[in-house]
Amino acid sequence: MRLPIQINEQSAEPLYHQIKVQLRALIVSGQLEEDTLLPSIRELAQTVKCSVITVKRVYSDLETEGLLRTRQGTGTYVAKVGDQERYKHRLSVVIEALDQAVGAGKRVQCTEEELEGLFREAVRKHYDPGGEQP
Amino acid sequence: MSDWKAETAISFENVSVRKSDFVLGPTTLDIPGGYITAIVGPNGSGKSTLFRMALDLAKPDYGKVTVLGQEIGSGDDDELKQHIGYVPEEPYAHESRLKGSDKAKINGFWYKGWDLFRYQELLHILQVNDHQLLGKMSKGMRRKTELALALAHNPELLLLDEPSSGLDPLAWKIMIDLLHRHMDQGDRTILMTSHIVDEVKRLADFIVFMAQGKVLGFYEKDELFSSWFTYYVSGEGIEARDLADMPGQTGIEFAGLNTFRVTTGKAQDAEAWCADAGLTVVSKSAMELDEIMAALLHGIGLETKANEARGLRR
Repeated sequence: MRLPIQINEQSAEPLYHQIKVQLRALIVSGQLEEDTLLPSIRELAQTVKCSVITVKRVYSDLETEGLLRTRQGTGTYVAKVGDQERYKHRLSVVIEALDQAVGAGKRVQCTEEELEGLFREAVRKHYDPGGEQP
Repeated sequence: MSDWKAETAISFENVSVRKSDFVLGPTTLDIPGGYITAIVGPNGSGKSTLFRMALDLAKPDYGKVTVLGQEIGSGDDDELKQHIGYVPEEPYAHESRLKGSDKAKINGFWYKGWDLFRYQELLHILQVNDHQLLGKMSKGMRRKTELALALAHNPELLLLDEPSSGLDPLAWKIMIDLLHRHMDQGDRTILMTSHIVDEVKRLADFIVFMAQGKVLGFYEKDELFSSWFTYYVSGEGIEARDLADMPGQTGIEFAGLNTFRVTTGKAQDAEAWCADAGLTVVSKSAMELDEIMAALLHGIGLETKANEARGLRR
């Protein structure tokens, strides 16, 4: 199986982090159901062009978080994700993305007010697309 | 990052070779088992010599080479060689008068683990037939046949010296895939050399840089690529010398008003340093393998070699 994980080599985010965030999102969103067999470590490393060491780290971290489990000799599977867990992780993906956006703003020297304005604009665009622009 | 545990598949301990026109070492290098390690470096840096020493085809003047737990040159290595597959950089001239199928018969006689079915499957996947004389085959055809011959006894350790030399892009993709699948059985180790940036990126877990008989460094691939970055840094009235102390800095170039282009091998530290110094990072981009190699060579004063490294194929 090919996981829809996209890597941005130019990003400031370490590969390890990018993969972990995306894989976690796939599991928490329910896109990968419980008991799904994940690709082998080398297979995933090959698809995202990273080293197996990075994928090993991601798998073992998500296992510690309770999102994956490894069955000796057969592979790595998606674990059961409780509702509470799902809620917690659901927001963590959003927080992550916002954090990225704020970082990008800061790099081009946006002020806090500017960023807040941009945020409100983005929210309006998605939640009230027909609405009047001020 | 050091959370990979590995046995050592090949160890070079204080190995040196001294010839009239070439000096290697003293080199100490451990190749981890269970992973793919690629040695990268300009021509004449001693990559092939290391390979040949691991196979006892060349002897070091000093030092010790250990392969899969056995010291090389310490006696009978017939059993050890059962577990090794080797594709040399240049095919052996004396084999040119053999057909591929003749060499397969020899391998089948010699290797206990020889799997005829697997060999035929490999020929099929690589789209070659072995009825021709090896010397009559095109370079790519011969390469593919040699690969099939080296893989069909399912070796624990595979030594590939410029494996893709002569392969067309399609065959190249097939080879990459074959090697990944070979590794997927677990407990397999590949040590390879390559001039092809994309090949190293796709295959390697660890990268060793070599130049002029010396090992410049051993890196985990992702760690390497996340450490080397080019930054555009700006600040009111800054000059090149203000950036000289940036951690890992290997080059500074003027890039327009109050802005400089800086390359560094310590990206995280460099960013923190910029923040402390009140400098703005306008943009950053990851460096390619050839650029990193050039920067490393530049760092040890090998300017001409640095230019050669830039000629690595993308």
